[in-house]
Amino acid sequence: MANRRCIQTLISRCFCISHSPNPSPHPILKTLTIAPHFLLQTEYSTVQSLTPTDPGKICSAFPSFSRHLCSDNRTSMGSIDNDGDEEEEEEEDDDDDESEDEERVHLSGKSDEQKAEEAAEIGYKVIGLLEESDRVFKPYEPVFAVVQVGSHQFKVSNGDSIFVEKLKYCDVNDKLILNRVLMLGSTAQTIIGRPVLPDAAVHAVVEEHALDAKVIIFKKKRRKNYRRTKGHRQELTKLRITDIQGIAKPEPIPSMKTEKRATKKVEKTAVSA
Amino acid sequence: MALRGVWQLNKLIVSYCDWGGSSRGVRAFMESHLPAFKEISPQLEVVSELNRGQHPYLKGLYRNKNERVVSVKNMTPEDILLCATRLRNSLGRKVVKLKTRHVTKHPSVQGTWTTELKM
Repeated sequence: MANRRCIQTLISRCFCISHSPNPSPHPILKTLTIAPHFLLQTEYSTVQSLTPTDPGKICSAFPSFSRHLCSDNRTSMGSIDNDGDEEEEEEEDDDDDESEDEERVHLSGKSDEQKAEEAAEIGYKVIGLLEESDRVFKPYEPVFAVVQVGSHQFKVSNGDSIFVEKLKYCDVNDKLILNRVLMLGSTAQTIIGRPVLPDAAVHAVVEEHALDAKVIIFKKKRRKNYRRTKGHRQELTKLRITDIQGIAKPEPIPSMKTEKRATKKVEKTAVSA
Repeated sequence: MALRGVWQLNKLIVSYCDWGGSSRGVRAFMESHLPAFKEISPQLEVVSELNRGQHPYLKGLYRNKNERVVSVKNMTPEDILLCATRLRNSLGRKVVKLKTRHVTKHPSVQGTWTTELKM
């Protein structure tokens, strides 16, 4: 058994040398000098059986011996991993760290174009200009639109307010255009998109970014002494829909009011007279 | 935090203590992040009050006479900025669980559906 263990170490260390990018030659050489005389004495059959298989498989059978080599160069991973796997993981981690660093730098310094693209893809919105002295809040029009924001769809009309998952790249009092419109309708006409209507646009204004009320997530397994309590507040954005474009809106009816006023005036004059 | 274009948060009071350790973050916030925050929201009246011997807090006074007090005891300046931004971004309404995510006064455009409706 001791002989077999020595063979294992020797083979694993040979593979270590072949795989490691920055080998620490001194401990390996020292171990190598000791190992060969064991090889000569031991059975060849075991060596032959072991060599063609993958290093990972060999190392997995005897994980304890791999710690000496790899942990010299790097801080110990704290887990009992294989030689080859450990090195591969470390290499991958390095690459991942580098790519993550690049990604982190990339994410934190996102350009406006990237933000707009992401917004357009995920939230289906385009940031318009900030609110100035515009008369955006019109009276109610009998027109509706079915709009998709993220994964949620709403049937929306003028003057409605919608609570949506937090929209990242917009501030309060920003004008938005929701460009993913699935259906438009008015009193006389209905336009159905397949799946989206390309020329339709729904204008909205961001009213607030706020947290929802706290929801307590309580987990319990009875008779197992397991109980967990977690609080969660969802971040929401409130949008006020101001305008729906892409459909012929029915004309408003001021004539009724003017007629009423005319009749009232006539009555008043008649009474006064 | 704007109902029909009108900002809802009128005043933000930053109450701190110049001796206590729990106010350390607030003091750093007042030096580092508060001027930038004031520039971002020019319509907002930001007042800093010295309240010795007490833990620090942020108090937001809204248009609907609602007061929201957030304790910023032992918080980092970045967290305090986040709290202040949240106060600025919210309406003064009571934090209640939402009944619906779509609030409307005119639910039907083409007429409410009934069983007797014939297309």
